[in-house]
Order: sequence, then C-alpha cells, then structure tokens
Amino acid sequence: MADVWGRKTVSIPGDEKLRESGYRRLTPANTRIFEGSFSLLHCQVEGAGLYRGVYAVLMFPVSYPDRYISLRYTDERDQDQEIGIIEDLSVFPEDVRQAVRRSLIKQYYERVIHRIHDIECRYGLLFFDVTTGEGRETFVMAWRHDRAEDYGASGKVLLDALDNRYIIPDLRKLPAADRRLFLGYIYW
Amino acid sequence: MKTLLRRARKQETVRPDILLGQIPASIAASANAIGLTPDTCLFSIRSDMDLSGRPCDAWLVVGRDRMAAFTADQLEVRVLSGPFEWRKATKIRNFQTVGSMFLQLRLEDMYVDVIRFSNGFREAFGRAVVQLQRMLRGEPLSREALAAPSETICGTCGLPLPGLRAQCPRCSGRRGIVARTLALMRPYWWSIFLLLAMMVMGVLLDLIPPQLTRYLVDQVLKPGTGGEVLSSASNSGFQAFLNRLVQGSGAWTRGDRMSLLVLILACLVTASAARHTLNIFIGRISSLIGTRITKELRERLHRHLLRLSVDYYNRHSAGNLMSRVLYDVDYFQGFVAQVAHGFLLNVMLVLGIGTVLFVMNPRLALVVLLPIPFVVVGTTFFWRHIYPRYYRLWDSQSKMAQLLTGFLQGIRLVKAFSQEERERARFSSAAGYMQQARRSVEMGMATFNPIMGFVFGLGGLLIWFAGGERVLRGLNGEPGGITLGTLMAFFGYMGMFYGPISQLTMFSNWVTGFLSAGQRVFEVLDSVQSLPEDPKPVRLSSLKGAIELRNVTFGYDPYHPILKNVSMTIEAGRFVGIVGKSGSGKTTLVNVICRFYDVQQGAVLIDGVDVRKIATEDLHRHIGLVLQEPFLFRASIAENIAYGRPDAPPSAIMDAAKAANAHDFIARRPNGYDMKLGENGSGLSGGERQRVSIARALLCNPRILILDEATSSVDTESELEIQKALTHLCKGRTTLAIAHRLSTLKNADWIYVMDDGRIAEEGTHEELLARDGIYSKLVKIQTELTRLEA
Repeated sequence: MADVWGRKTVSIPGDEKLRESGYRRLTPANTRIFEGSFSLLHCQVEGAGLYRGVYAVLMFPVSYPDRYISLRYTDERDQDQEIGIIEDLSVFPEDVRQAVRRSLIKQYYERVIHRIHDIECRYGLLFFDVTTGEGRETFVMAWRHDRAEDYGASGKVLLDALDNRYIIPDLRKLPAADRRLFLGYIYW
Repeated sequence: MKTLLRRARKQETVRPDILLGQIPASIAASANAIGLTPDTCLFSIRSDMDLSGRPCDAWLVVGRDRMAAFTADQLEVRVLSGPFEWRKATKIRNFQTVGSMFLQLRLEDMYVDVIRFSNGFREAFGRAVVQLQRMLRGEPLSREALAAPSETICGTCGLPLPGLRAQCPRCSGRRGIVARTLALMRPYWWSIFLLLAMMVMGVLLDLIPPQLTRYLVDQVLKPGTGGEVLSSASNSGFQAFLNRLVQGSGAWTRGDRMSLLVLILACLVTASAARHTLNIFIGRISSLIGTRITKELRERLHRHLLRLSVDYYNRHSAGNLMSRVLYDVDYFQGFVAQVAHGFLLNVMLVLGIGTVLFVMNPRLALVVLLPIPFVVVGTTFFWRHIYPRYYRLWDSQSKMAQLLTGFLQGIRLVKAFSQEERERARFSSAAGYMQQARRSVEMGMATFNPIMGFVFGLGGLLIWFAGGERVLRGLNGEPGGITLGTLMAFFGYMGMFYGPISQLTMFSNWVTGFLSAGQRVFEVLDSVQSLPEDPKPVRLSSLKGAIELRNVTFGYDPYHPILKNVSMTIEAGRFVGIVGKSGSGKTTLVNVICRFYDVQQGAVLIDGVDVRKIATEDLHRHIGLVLQEPFLFRASIAENIAYGRPDAPPSAIMDAAKAANAHDFIARRPNGYDMKLGENGSGLSGGERQRVSIARALLCNPRILILDEATSSVDTESELEIQKALTHLCKGRTTLAIAHRLSTLKNADWIYVMDDGRIAEEGTHEELLARDGIYSKLVKIQTELTRLEA
C-alpha cells in the first residue's frame, strides 16, 4: 500500500501479533452504520452494542484522505471514545459511504486556495487576497512562523488571525507568479 | 493594495455578533412561527455557515424556554435546527472540529448539533455557551459578559489582535523595521552625527584629487611647454614662483613645473592620507555603535525570551529561536555599517560628484548618466527575482539547525533503533536544500553582478567616445572642445560616480537580508507575553503556603478545556497527593498553580491572593518544583544546586545536598562539588540527577513544593534514596505530589483523584481504598503489577 506521495509501507510477521491488541477494525461484516434521530450517525458493532451520536474523523487526513476513518462518540462522562476504525470505506454500501462522508464534511472546514492575487504586509500582519473554492476572499494572518505550517510534502496550511484554516495543498501547482508572491512572505 | 487593508478592516468591524433581547428582522417571522418572539428572546448570536459548512448568514436565537437556529440568506429563510426545548437538554457545549465548531445540546444521551460556526466566531459562542451553561444550572444570565468588548479584535480599528487582550499593532503606533532599527540607534545620535560630519568631509576630500589631476595634466604636464630655463636672480626663489603661479603658466620655468608636480603630488598624498584617516575613524566608530547595538539587541531578545510564557516555547522550535538570536541580530550591525559608510556615503558621493560633473561639462555629464535607467531596471529585477531566494536560504539554515539540535539530543535513540542511515538521508536532504538555496542565491548574484558590470563598462566606453571627440575638437581649436585634463578628471569622477551607484544597486541585496532578519527579530520581540504582570502586583516577602483553586477551567487551546471547573483547598503545610490516569490533568493543575499559564475561568489563590495579582518573581521564589526529568545546566554540581540562589555559601549547598541524599555520591567524585556536568547533567545517573535537582529545590527553602512524578523515572534503589530525601524536603512545607506509584502517597494528608480534568474522588488513602472507586482500582492494579514483577 502507498500513501498519497507514493511512499510504500511494508508489513512484517510481528504485525499480526500486534493486531490482536490493536484497534477494532470496522467492516461491513461486523458493523452496521446508519443515520438515526436528529440525522446523527449511529453504529451497531457486533458484540459491542449500539453507539448513538457517532462522528467520523480521519486518522491520516493528509497521507490517506480516503482511508482509516475513526468512528467516535461522546460517552456519558463527556469523554470522547473510539468505537473502531474503518480502514477502507469503499467496501461499505453506498448509503453508508454517503453517511460517513457527510459526517466527515462536518469535521473539516478548510478553505482551499487556488490563486493568490495579492499579499500586503502591514503592522506585522499579512493581508491576503485569494481565490478559494468558495470564491474570491480576503483574510488577515500574523506574519509568524507558527501561523503557516507544512501540509504534506509541499503544501502549506495558513491560520488566519481568527484561527480559520486556508490550505494550499501543493505549492508547486500554484501559478508561478502566485507562488513567487507567496514565497516572498511565507518562505519557510 | 490599500483596498485590501480597508476591506479586511471593514469585514472585522461592521457586524455585531450578539444581539441582546433582539431577533434579527430577517428571521423574525420564522422565529415567531416556532414560538421565539421578541418578548421571550434572551439573545441572538450570528454564525457564518450552515451545518454542512456552506457559507451563509445564520443566527441562533435563544429564548427563555427554547432555542433554534436559522439561515437568513437573501433567497430564503429557513430553520436550520430546532426548536430545542431547554427542559429536555441536560448539557450544552461547544465542540471543536478542524476549522469550525458546533454548539451542541445533550438530548436523549446524545449531543445534537444546534449550529455550526467558523473559528472566527469562537469568542462570541464561547461567551454564549458559558451563559447557556449557567442557565442550565438555573443561574441568571449575565448580559454584561455577553456584551463585553472583544478580546481578539481591536475595538478602535477592527484589526485582529496578535494575542488575547494584546496591543493592537496599528493603534499602538508600531513602525516599520527600518524605523524601529533607527530608534535603536537613538542613544548614539551624537556619534552618528559625528559620523555624518566625517562623511561630508570625506566626500569633499574625494572631490579634490581629480581636480588636481586635471590641473596637473592641463597646466603642468602640457606638451610643448616648459623648455626654457630662467637663470636670472630676480626670477628665482619661492616668492617669484608663487607670483608666476598666480600670473599663469606662460612664464613657468622647468623648475617651476617640477615644483608644481611635487606640490600637487604632496596635495594628493595629503588628501589621500586625510581620507584614509577619516575612514579609520568612521570604521571604528561605526563598529563601536554596531557591536553595542547588537549586544543590546541580543540581551533584549534574551530578556524577552525569558519573559515569554511556556506556551510560546511549545509553538517554536529551539533551533529556530537560536538562529534568530545568533545570526539574525548580526544584520543590525550591518545596518549601522550601511548607515555609516554604505548607503548614506554613496548617496552623498553620487550627489556631490554628479554636481561637479555637471559643473565641469553638462553634456558629458549627461552621457555619464546614460547607464542609470539600466541600473534601475536591474535593481527592480533584483528585488523581484533574487530577493525571495534569501528568505529560503535563511529557512534552509534554520531547518538545518533544528535538524542538528534534534539529532544531537536524540543520538542515543538513533543508535538504539539503528536509524543512522535514515538520519544520514534526512541530513543529506537538509544539506541538499541548503545547497540548493545557496546556489540559487549565488547563481542569481553571479549573473546579476557581471551584467551590471558590463552596463557600467559601457558607460566608460561612451565617455571615451564623447569625451575623446571633444578633446580632438579642443586640440583643433573648435568650439565645444575640452582639454585632456578635463577628460582625465571626468574619468576620475566617473569611477567615483559609478562605484557608489554600483554599491547602491547592491544595497537592495543587503536590505533584503536585513529586512528578513529584522522581521524575524522583531517577530520575537513583538510576541505577546500571554501572562501579563499586574500593574500594581502584590509583593509577598513571606508565605504560609495555602493553595486554593476556585472553579478553575483551563485548556492549552482556550476552546478545549483540560481542567473543567476544578475546585480544591489545600491548607498550608499539608502534604497532598494528586493521582489519576495519563491525560487526566495532573500536570496541567501544576502548570496553573505555578502560573505558567493563566486560567480561562475561575481563579488560583495562594494565601488568599489571586496568582495573577502576585508579582511573578515572588510567586516563583516561593514555589519549589521537582520534575520527572530534572534539567541540569552545563555547569558544576555546586552551580546547579545553587541555581535558584547563586549567592548561597558552600556550607548551605552541602547541607542541601546532604538533605537530598546527594552529598555522598558527590563527595566520591574527584572534583566533588566542582565537577563539571555535561549537557543536561550527563556524567550523573538518572537518580543522581534527580537528587541534585531536589537539593536545588531544597536550597531555595520554598514554602510550596511541587513534586511532579519525581521518582517515576528512576530504579527502585534510587527511588528509596529520593524518598528519603523528599522526607526532609517536605517538612513544614505545603507539598503537592503527583505520583504514579501510589505507595509513595500512603502518608499524604489528603489525596485528590483526577479524571478527565475533574476531581473524581478525594480523601485519605484509607478512605479512598474503602470507597472502592478509581483510586482503589489503581491501587489494585499496581499491587498486581508489583506481584507480577516479583
């Protein structure tokens, strides 16, 4: 198996032993997933019971954005607990896939930047004028190293002054002028 | 460009997000339809998306008995969720997801999404949820808390603040990097004024040699003259020579010409000597100022780093910060050098020499200026294409420093996991990045510099053409001609004119490095101390040691609490144990008591005084901290023990070591207390390091002692030694012991059991055992483990 950058993983014989004490694998054979009251995800696991108000979280949102989905719920003591992990969503029926994807959409709110039209630096702040998947918009971020982090092999995630997330999945895919403008400020 | 700033500002300021007792007109009808009327409405709060994250104008309307969320788009108004009746809800919370949050109600043992909002609305919804939790508990709503001004947005200009309650960068009048650097030079204005005066003198001196050369060529070394030898007595002597000099060269003798040659050469030597003497002074003074400024700036950075909260260090790597203090500050010395004899001198030379050239021959001076447009184009190109490469070079150096720091600190781990090859590859990759970044800069420069050199060379050739033509005209007696001396002087001045121009083009090169370094240095200096000192702090010369936590809620991420409404009272002098699973909030509890972080709700009180009001220095002086992994400095054992009290006498140091059961092993070392320790105490075993750290805490005689898993990383024998040491240490002090091994807490006066950020149980060891709860379970597990180990 390979991740989004094509890095291959290799299993060794000891992995099977490790698996015995590892996470619970959720498969169509042992798990029933459906939407119930309040349109919330419910999950029935063989031998473990019914979990209500379930939500899905990606375990490798950058490396494996379509795999390793953790199903979780909040218990009666307000602690978040993991029910198990779906390693491959594609083996589930279409309605389940849709329901899990809807749950995932709720977990992630990141705007993807396609174009950078302008960056202005004032008062130690960077004023961005960009086009995202939602259209043209502006945002302000502090010109600080901890506000622009690496995202995968050659992407960046920008946190604006209010902690909203703006993603550039791959800097190499930005138009050359936009990339040059961006690297003039976010060079790390 | 200005529109960007204006637009962003407008966006931040224009909308009130919480309406008290009002329902927005756009959704009023829909709200009425489900029983939410202006009479029953407590408040409405705005959001920016629907539940699936689609951007829209949305509102949550909170009434006395119910709440509901609506979208208020232009095309349709619809109910997003609800209505939810309060009586059916048991809890309410803000649930953080990646990039957004949900306000959720607990209904039928599930959390149900009520409304979703982007992180930009966290502050408003954070306040709202606190009030809604109060309502669920039957407490009255605080309108003041809801209506309080924002702590994340500047109330004056609407710009986002760099930190919670931080100064607005715009309204505080913060200036640009160059202006702030000039401000650093303020104490040295007199020296800088002196420098400027010397520079003016230097420019004037630079103007002299070409004029002397011109005179030498045109008057003294003029071909076909100076052959006659005057022998009469009336024509000899210095006075006569001066008379002839004043009258003109026509009457000059050969001896006169020799005298003039020597005189002019003497003047040239004097001008050159004076210029170089001035250079010596300029260089020395600028070095003096530059080194002082960098020293002061480094100290200022270090002072600021000491003041910054622990949280800051969680967000920045040590290698990155080291690079700023070590290397970036050096650019400020360069700034002084540039001000002293770089930029300003070159500007003066260009202006001074340009004026002289135009006075000498305006037409020829215009020819000299011909390459200037190309220089401007070249400089613009440089700024656009070569300057960003410097940033990446710095980044590569910083990443290399980070990599090396991690590698050298974790060398044992690398070897233990046989990852040398992987580390080699990682280093090779970082070295490759650095090579590529440097090559990119140097190749750019290697192309840019010769092109600019060629452009300047062309200027010289143009002068040869235009000037040579005029000299020939002059020799033939035609109008517009010039002398050979004038052309020679032009060449002299031209070299001096193009030199500074060339330097000025390179100035952009230097400015680039300086601005990027300046940005990084000021970024640290502008970092907000998240722990503000009270303007009139309470000074505590002595302390009893009573600790109280009053409804404390705290999270490293303010919207994700670790401690949840924790209250505890610890009387002075008591020994209190804190136990709980990993991640239950034990160490976080210690962090807020020590005021490494400020709590978001509630208060921590020492002797009845809120820690936020106590002078930080006093607070930390009275608290002794022994950590699981003791940190020792690269210094002698004695210096490490006396770290909190550098003036402690040797006898006190030894007493502390004796009480910490460290004295005997120190005494066995050849250099005793003078033994120099390596990086983080290397040269001592884990148990020995811990005992040195206990001696260090003991020497300060703190009234409150905090032991954070002090014995969990050492062997049983060392633990026994440390336990003995701690017995001495705890006497007469308030002791808070976080312990993994519960047997160490048997004698505690009181034990708190933490679970998921709350106090789940409390009591004495016996009481908790009898209760058969979490503590009892933990004791049973440990007893079983001990049995298995045996």
